[in-house]
Amino acid sequence: MHRGKGMKFVGDSRVPAQKKPNIPKDYSEYPGKTEAFWPNFLLKEWMVGAVFLIGYLLLTIAHPSPLERVADPTDATYTPLPDWYFLFLYQLLKYKYAAGDYTLIGTMIIPGIAFGSLLLAPWLDPGPERRPSKRPIAVGMMLLAVISTIFLTWESVVTHDWEKQAKQGEIVEANVDKDAEGYQIYSGQSCIGCHGDSLQGATGPSLLETEKSAEEIMGIAKNGIPPAMPANAFEGSDEELQKLAQFIVETAEANK
Amino acid sequence: MLQRIYDWVDERLDITPLWRDIADHEVPEHVNPAHHFSAFVYCFGGLTFFIVVIQILSGMFLTMYYVPDIVNAWESVYYLQNEVAFGVIVRGMHHWGASLVIVMMFLHTLRVFFQGAYKKPRELNWVVGVLIFFVMLGLGFTGYLLPWDMKALFATKVGLQIAVTIPVIGEMAKTLLAGGEIIGAQTLARFFAIHVFFLPGALLALMGAHFIMIRKQGISGPL
Amino acid sequence: MAKKNEVTRRQFLNYTLTGVGGFMAAGMLMPMVRFAIDPVLKEGTEQEMVPVMDVSEITKEPQRKKFKVDQVDGWYESEVEQSAWVYKDEKDEIVALSPVCKHLGCTVDWSSNAAYPDQFYCPCHGGRYTKDGVNVPGTPPLAPLDVYKMKVEKGKLYLGKPEPR
Repeated sequence: MHRGKGMKFVGDSRVPAQKKPNIPKDYSEYPGKTEAFWPNFLLKEWMVGAVFLIGYLLLTIAHPSPLERVADPTDATYTPLPDWYFLFLYQLLKYKYAAGDYTLIGTMIIPGIAFGSLLLAPWLDPGPERRPSKRPIAVGMMLLAVISTIFLTWESVVTHDWEKQAKQGEIVEANVDKDAEGYQIYSGQSCIGCHGDSLQGATGPSLLETEKSAEEIMGIAKNGIPPAMPANAFEGSDEELQKLAQFIVETAEANK
Repeated sequence: MLQRIYDWVDERLDITPLWRDIADHEVPEHVNPAHHFSAFVYCFGGLTFFIVVIQILSGMFLTMYYVPDIVNAWESVYYLQNEVAFGVIVRGMHHWGASLVIVMMFLHTLRVFFQGAYKKPRELNWVVGVLIFFVMLGLGFTGYLLPWDMKALFATKVGLQIAVTIPVIGEMAKTLLAGGEIIGAQTLARFFAIHVFFLPGALLALMGAHFIMIRKQGISGPL
Repeated sequence: MAKKNEVTRRQFLNYTLTGVGGFMAAGMLMPMVRFAIDPVLKEGTEQEMVPVMDVSEITKEPQRKKFKVDQVDGWYESEVEQSAWVYKDEKDEIVALSPVCKHLGCTVDWSSNAAYPDQFYCPCHGGRYTKDGVNVPGTPPLAPLDVYKMKVEKGKLYLGKPEPR
């Protein structure tokens, strides 16, 4: 290629007038164990990509992404769980020396050391040797980290109550008439705190599936069910109690 | 016709060398699984990039329906998932892609680590890679809040509570992330901005640096 | 070495590569594009007929009647106010016209312009319609006013969606 003095340009630009012909390098220019990026290498890469994509699309069809009910900041009974890739951290914080007075160890120091050394790995393991067998300390530490991450994730998965987790977030499509007089009493009394704003249940059981009669409900509201439901939870007139019980029975009927 | 358009542009901008350089560069054979099957470990980086492309595209399409507002966020997600054609798939791609990208990145990191591929002269590329890892975790954390369901809200509460444990600046860091005293409307707007503009911007810059360095230094040789 | 019209190794790889690339792009984009263009392919929603006024109140002179309809806009449901010009024509049949001008969507008014009594007049660009809603030639609108779907039940007039003629 022509360089320097005497070089011609297109107009007054810096684009050289002499074109590089658009011809790919000959295969003989890839000596020994190399090959061209396009098309040789990319073809294999894309074939892997295509197979991966099929599996990926099948996954999205087979498992619709989850959506729980709309966020309700007042619901104090919900047990949160992070996404699975944060579970190891979640589990770590359950241990004695990573919680309570030692919280800082669990939230900052251990993850800080782990991620900090990951970031600085080239300087913590500076030797020229690349084979894993020739750098046992670095490889050992990494294996330890990987195994403990997997262990913590595993621990948190097996100790978790997944059924409860799924239930507490379910979208409840209850048919509840929130304008009814009975609902006003329901939400005005303490019922709503444990039985939820759609009678779906929270700490207390769901009232949507109750098979009890109005009289039985009135009795429970007055006398409670030991130990969870306190006696005298209802503080209103007998007429209101009647309406409340009627409302619960009717709603349960409507949601059958 | 196409050839003439190409020539017209090429005469003015000299674009041939730009892409010829990329197309014709040499790739060592030891990373090609067609030659040695064990070389499939080299695919994880490429697959990570592929999922990132899917994440960016599906994310762009999701924002056509999604609104970052506590009153409508959940409703809009429910609508796009249940009422819009292929909504399940597009949201599924974004949701499962978020998990898969972490898996692929984890495997890619392990490959690079156990092969000692981060040794001189590739230290800087390792650092950039770990930063990409952090950005991805940030994207996962901020994206989790956006559907505004029970899981989103309470997981974010716990996450921000962890920020509070930082000595001295803990409370400040939490308020800064939450955009206020409680986790609510302002948090959602803030997380949306971080998830959609700030972190992807950082991600693109870091990935650009990652690829330029790979191109400059080449792939590390076989063990 | 390669004869004319013979596919070289490189060409073959190129074709396969573009094929695989096209497959990936299609697999990725097909659901997303279908997702994005869904509003175009969605069938229009039927609107419920709502009672507007008593039939006995309808006069020969067009009256503007406002009524509320439930509007479902994606995930957002609201009540919006619509209005109609209602009158009885010469054959004593009820006519309910949409007040939305067919030119650029302003609201037309009945004989509001002194120069054109007994015509619907659009103040934005001077569009005019005769009493039966037909656009006056030479004025901006190119089509007659939309007519509401309607029914009469128990002495009440019910209106549905405005439909173009």
